[in-house]
Amino acid sequence: MTTPATLLEARDLVRHYRVSKGFLRGTMLVRALDGVSFELVQGRTLAVVGESGCGKSTLARQVTMIETPTAGALLLDGQDVAHADRALRGRLRPQVQMVFQNPYASLNPRRTVGALLEEPLEIHRRGTRRERRERALAIMDKVGLRREHYGRYPHMFSGGQRQRIAVARALMLDPRLVVADEPTSALDVSIQAQVLNLLLDLQQEFGIAYLFIAHNLQVVRHIADAVLVMYLGKAVEQGPKEAIFARPLHPYTQALFASTPNLGRARRIVDAAAPSEPPSPLDAISGCAFRTRCPRAIERCAIEVPAPTTIGSITVACHRAAE
Amino acid sequence: MSTDSNALLEIVDLHVEFGTPQRPVRAVEGIDLSIAAGEVVGLVGESGSGKSVTALALLGLVDYPGRVRAKRMAFAGRDLVNCSGEERRAIAGRDIAMIFQDPLASLDPCYTVGYQLDEALRLHGNDRERASASVRRDRALELLRHVEIADPLARLRAYPHQLSGGMAQRVMIAMAIAGRPQLLIADEPTTALDVTVQAQVLALLMRLRRELQMAVLLITHDLAVVAETADRVVVMYAGQVMETGPVPALFDAPRHPYTRALLDALPEHNFGRARLRTIPGVVPGAFDRPSGCLLSPRCEFAVERCVVERPELTGNAVRAVRCHFPL
Repeated sequence: MTTPATLLEARDLVRHYRVSKGFLRGTMLVRALDGVSFELVQGRTLAVVGESGCGKSTLARQVTMIETPTAGALLLDGQDVAHADRALRGRLRPQVQMVFQNPYASLNPRRTVGALLEEPLEIHRRGTRRERRERALAIMDKVGLRREHYGRYPHMFSGGQRQRIAVARALMLDPRLVVADEPTSALDVSIQAQVLNLLLDLQQEFGIAYLFIAHNLQVVRHIADAVLVMYLGKAVEQGPKEAIFARPLHPYTQALFASTPNLGRARRIVDAAAPSEPPSPLDAISGCAFRTRCPRAIERCAIEVPAPTTIGSITVACHRAAE
Repeated sequence: MSTDSNALLEIVDLHVEFGTPQRPVRAVEGIDLSIAAGEVVGLVGESGSGKSVTALALLGLVDYPGRVRAKRMAFAGRDLVNCSGEERRAIAGRDIAMIFQDPLASLDPCYTVGYQLDEALRLHGNDRERASASVRRDRALELLRHVEIADPLARLRAYPHQLSGGMAQRVMIAMAIAGRPQLLIADEPTTALDVTVQAQVLALLMRLRRELQMAVLLITHDLAVVAETADRVVVMYAGQVMETGPVPALFDAPRHPYTRALLDALPEHNFGRARLRTIPGVVPGAFDRPSGCLLSPRCEFAVERCVVERPELTGNAVRAVRCHFPL
């Protein structure tokens, strides 16, 4: 069983999709999530990083129960979400809420802020009309929106304020876990700081855990407690933030760090650390999926899939990590 | 502010307005910008600060009802304010090329990469290229090799949807350098790309800039990208230049409170802090800009003079700041 402090645990989580190879050419299997395991402690933040196509968003779709995993277990509070029946899923779903990347697309432009916020309560048949309204106003206050915003429409707000509305909506059902998919990457620097502060304040007040999907490593460094690095459906490295930022062990994590622009590196644009681009998830690569781009790849990497091993506080899947 | 008459590009007091003349939306209010040959200038600012509109005005791409006005706008000694459409088209696309944020939206999905490169060479190539299809084809291959695209022969036949984001941006860069430009305007060229691919595309741009000796105007909201690539930075806010200075001096010792606040809001400047430092409030809209200093409602140092009187941009072509009380 999981320890009491663990809120979410994934064990060998797998999600495959069948995609068409073209007209009359049959289908093939895309391994969007290919055996990912992690634990997220209550009230903490796990950041998921990786390039596009690595399976970050697929992971979010399993955790939010929008889709059912192909195999493996996903435990929310010790209860298996992957094999839950309808009634159990219905009970678990309100505990996991989501904040999306683009607040210009995630809010219905034809509904007022009040209606947007009360909708989750209506769907789950909670409270009377007056109670729902009171709850909406209370949450608006928590996220820094004013009472007079209740009757306004999303287009009357700036990007940062819209993201506040999206966060407020995610909080309406009192969730224990919020999945935030790049919540600040569409925002300006000064607004990004406001929204990150808000997320941290809310975590402290309500004890919410975040599954924080991000590509900006500086943001991850600020907000995360633990980091999960994904590459083509696999977890290549994970561990406490301090350990990973102090000394990343996987060559891919190292490449991500080296590629991240840095203010301190004035006028020294690096020679691209990870050569070439991420391969398509459609291409099957034998052995280690990163070997085609890895500067340290050896023969063994093409033959044998590296198993996750623990080095210090970090779990890393690389044949050469221990060297 | 004095301007350098040897500059490749010289813009003095550029204004761009939209909306009706009675109630204009001022996107750009009096920008001075000069770029020397071979120089990389970073134009940074938050959304709505007027960075992209400045570039579009420069290329003559601001459509009705937009109105462009400038005391002087000259490229390599040629006037861009009072020139005919034909003269401008001879410069725009050839001597001044531009790439955009979303390469897949900039490429035509109905034509192959080869066709679109050929079109760029037909319009902007030299005399030999304009005359001969086979010369153009050889040059298209050479351009693809130049931007480090593997298997260029196969890529000529590819349609844009068959390219990854990074590859599509490389094709865009190949099209942009087809006319051997002296100035490349890159508007958020890597914002839509993954960090690893971003690093590659930036490295490519910097290599091309060295080899082709072209100047680059890099428009971005990412200060770290500018710090790694640019020679000089221009910081814009609500349609005006707030500060300009060389890298790394501007990042090490910003003189405008806005530049400093922007830098302070970055997570990497807040190690060990529970909360990030923020800039309170939002960027003023086009109709609610303060009459005094544009930053005054959000500036922690603002005094009465800042609310009443709009500061001028003071300094020289290298380092200038628009603040009554620079840091």
